[in-house]
Amino acid sequence: MRFSYTPFKTQTPVISLGGRSSRPRPVVCVGVVGPVNANPVDAVIDSGSDETLFDESVALSIGIDLTNAPACPCGSILDQIVTARFANVTLRMTDGIEFREWPAWVGFVPNLRRSVLGFGGFQQFFTTTLYGDDEIVELVVNRLYPGI
Amino acid sequence: MDSANGKPLAPDNNWLTTEFFENRRKFPEAELMKYAGKHIAWSWDGSQIVASADSMQELHEQVNALGLDSSRVVYSYVDRPDAIYV
Repeated sequence: MRFSYTPFKTQTPVISLGGRSSRPRPVVCVGVVGPVNANPVDAVIDSGSDETLFDESVALSIGIDLTNAPACPCGSILDQIVTARFANVTLRMTDGIEFREWPAWVGFVPNLRRSVLGFGGFQQFFTTTLYGDDEIVELVVNRLYPGI
Repeated sequence: MDSANGKPLAPDNNWLTTEFFENRRKFPEAELMKYAGKHIAWSWDGSQIVASADSMQELHEQVNALGLDSSRVVYSYVDRPDAIYV
């Protein structure tokens, strides 16, 4: 699967990018499927993230009860710590040409700004190539990929 | 994967189509920037924003209040133009 980076407009020229007026980010849409519903959610592919994370309201919407879910502290590079609660879901992704669906353990945290596709649940199953020159991300299933 | 007219077929109708990606790319940037810092819900064909809120939880509540099928919108966030994200 191949996806173009999404350009996000900036208020001021981006110094590090030669003064361009947008920042490209590898944001893709992933379907989060639970026992009663599915939520298609935009998420950023982040090679520095340990886990795949969604907002807690997604869990509620797809029918997952997090009351007794396994939990662990989740920190960011800005030193904020929140509790992530984990559940097994099905993730679904397409670029309109290739269709992929696989089971994954993902974390749910409160008040998440943007969902994150990290190593656990996502990058462990794909060879992820980020083409900085063409601003394209390429995802190829690897030998651990457990889906269809 | 099966195909028809050279185009792959989705396993069922729960998958986004190329139309969604094309429409989102064509969505006017100035219109999108009105939602900077907001959580938004895109229509299934990617041609319009059907709901917006300050948090994902509020967005879910709004989608439900509008009677929309929560599995047939795409939840997103419009990054603030004045911030870098790490």
